[in-house]
Amino acid sequence: MNMVFLPNRLVAILFVLWLTLAGASVCRAQSLEITDDLGRKISIDRHAERIIPLYGAFAETLFSIGAADRVIARTQADRYPAQIERLPSVGTHMKPNIELILGLKPDLVIMSSSRRDETPEISRLLDSGIPVAIFSPKTFEEIFSVTERLGILCGTREKALELNESLRKRLDAVKAKLDGVEKKQTVFFEIRSEPLTGAGRGSIVDEIISAAGGENVLTKEKGIVKYSVEALLFDNPDAYVVQEGPMNKSPLDPAKRSHFDRLKCVREGRVIKADELVFSRPGPRCIEAVETLAAALYPEFFRK
Amino acid sequence: MSEAAADERTGGLRPRAQVSVLRIALWSGFVIAIVFSAFISSGLGAFKTPYESIVKLWLSPFFPDLASGIDDTVRYIVLHVRLARICLAFLVGCALALAGTVYQGVLLNPLADPFTLGISTGAAFGASIAILLGFGSLHFFGVSALPAAAFAGALLALYLVYLLGSQEGRIQIVTVVLAGIIVSTFLSAMISLIKSLNEESVSTIVFWIMGSLSGKSWAHVMLILPYIIVGGAAICCFTRELDLLGLGDIQAQQLGVNVSRVRFWMLLAASLVTASAVAVSGIIGFVGLVIPHLARLAIGPRHRLLIPAAALCGGLLVLVSDSIARTILPGGEEIPVGVVTAIIGGPFFCFLLLRRKKQLHLQ
Repeated sequence: MNMVFLPNRLVAILFVLWLTLAGASVCRAQSLEITDDLGRKISIDRHAERIIPLYGAFAETLFSIGAADRVIARTQADRYPAQIERLPSVGTHMKPNIELILGLKPDLVIMSSSRRDETPEISRLLDSGIPVAIFSPKTFEEIFSVTERLGILCGTREKALELNESLRKRLDAVKAKLDGVEKKQTVFFEIRSEPLTGAGRGSIVDEIISAAGGENVLTKEKGIVKYSVEALLFDNPDAYVVQEGPMNKSPLDPAKRSHFDRLKCVREGRVIKADELVFSRPGPRCIEAVETLAAALYPEFFRK
Repeated sequence: MSEAAADERTGGLRPRAQVSVLRIALWSGFVIAIVFSAFISSGLGAFKTPYESIVKLWLSPFFPDLASGIDDTVRYIVLHVRLARICLAFLVGCALALAGTVYQGVLLNPLADPFTLGISTGAAFGASIAILLGFGSLHFFGVSALPAAAFAGALLALYLVYLLGSQEGRIQIVTVVLAGIIVSTFLSAMISLIKSLNEESVSTIVFWIMGSLSGKSWAHVMLILPYIIVGGAAICCFTRELDLLGLGDIQAQQLGVNVSRVRFWMLLAASLVTASAVAVSGIIGFVGLVIPHLARLAIGPRHRLLIPAAALCGGLLVLVSDSIARTILPGGEEIPVGVVTAIIGGPFFCFLLLRRKKQLHLQ
């Protein structure tokens, strides 16, 4: 209660002093801590300054939460955003080169666990004292959560939350536009044409399809499903999405493939081309994928 | 192998009439089994079709009225997707078993198979290059460029093997097998190189190499049919010479066989048949190696009977295997057909071998 009698100026000075001390103690003693998607605790003493994201989606996320200058390397296939191509490459996301990574002296490495849970690479990096965070986002909420956790590690949490907020708004906007849709369009999403492979339920692609107001014809809980032409003919989807990118290099136009001329969507020209790097990468651009797909599926709702 | 042939002849002394009845029963059994499997298989798939409508659909090319009450998609799926695939599976099996029999006979090597001369690796190499360069978007007549690239690769490998394995235009059997192995190993290394340069396409290459008849149409059947008919006919004209080759070069030469010419043309015919099959189906192992032995165990070493028997057997095995491959997983998922041929063919062959050995002991 003494405070009441102290002059205002003194209160202000004390308050500033307290803030500074508290801030300093956070930076020094209290480390930054998150839990990654394998349930491991990652704690670092200060904001990561030299980050190597070993998967394009995470690089994109870092670039869009204001941590662009902390990314020091990329993987071979990364092309977006354009300035990332100036960075040195440390191999591919499936086979990163440990020597190159160690040589760049990163203070944080971010990996994707979409392919396998534990790799020798991880233990090599951990042995050298480099923290490795592993994420495997499969839904929008998980993407948002990864974005936030990356924000915490980079000290740009505010920007991460802002980004999430704007992405959520864009999703809501799409949802609002699709309000009047009576019948959901059924969709087949082609990951590869040889062998014919579609996106199943357990993938970000399925989430994109649902958010765009479509319904995936594949009901398997797997992300990547080899599918038979016969089953596809039977499903006869309303729209056929062909992904183009590293996994599906210049696929043959469905209208020119044998049997595909029987599909309603092919005959009516409802074949939608999709950029693999936008559609199959669990990063912020997934929202762009939702907008593109929704506009292609329901052009009448997006014309205004 | 000539010893085995001698065993067969002395061991197989039976009254003539009984033998011919047995033979007719055997052949008709074969044909019935094949038609029956094809029929059963055409009723299996991602969605259920009653066999009543399958019967109607089978007869619909002759009596168009029968199919009137059947849904158009079902009709298309049964006639153009399933039956085309069944026919293709049968033809590919025929081709591989036929070629395997000829290779074993001509090269006098029980381990020879249609892929001994590096044709499979050549085809896989061609296909891998096409996948790497993204030629998948090229096409003609509804068939993508992949089979053409694979066929070209197979011919390239064959030519290399011929260059390495022949002396003054004459094929040396040991050299040619060695050449096949060398070319095969070299091309495998190249395929691995392509795979490691192009991680994202590994799955496509691997799946192609494991063999699949998924999504094939009558166009593919028409593509390989000429090769199989011409190659098969050529091989059937030389059955006597193939028998004599088994006695060794000198004996065969003395009995009036132009050994080097027969060898060259038989290898070429078998290789073209193999190349066409591999181009559309990828590499389906096991059939070409084991079916000839199986047929030999069942019917004896004489090529006049052995060749058609092996062809029918091979066709049946691939047909059944492919039906299993496309239906065993629910929800339209598929497994590679080459895996199934080995899984069902392997134990069956072991069973035959063991039983046969026991019989030989008893006799």
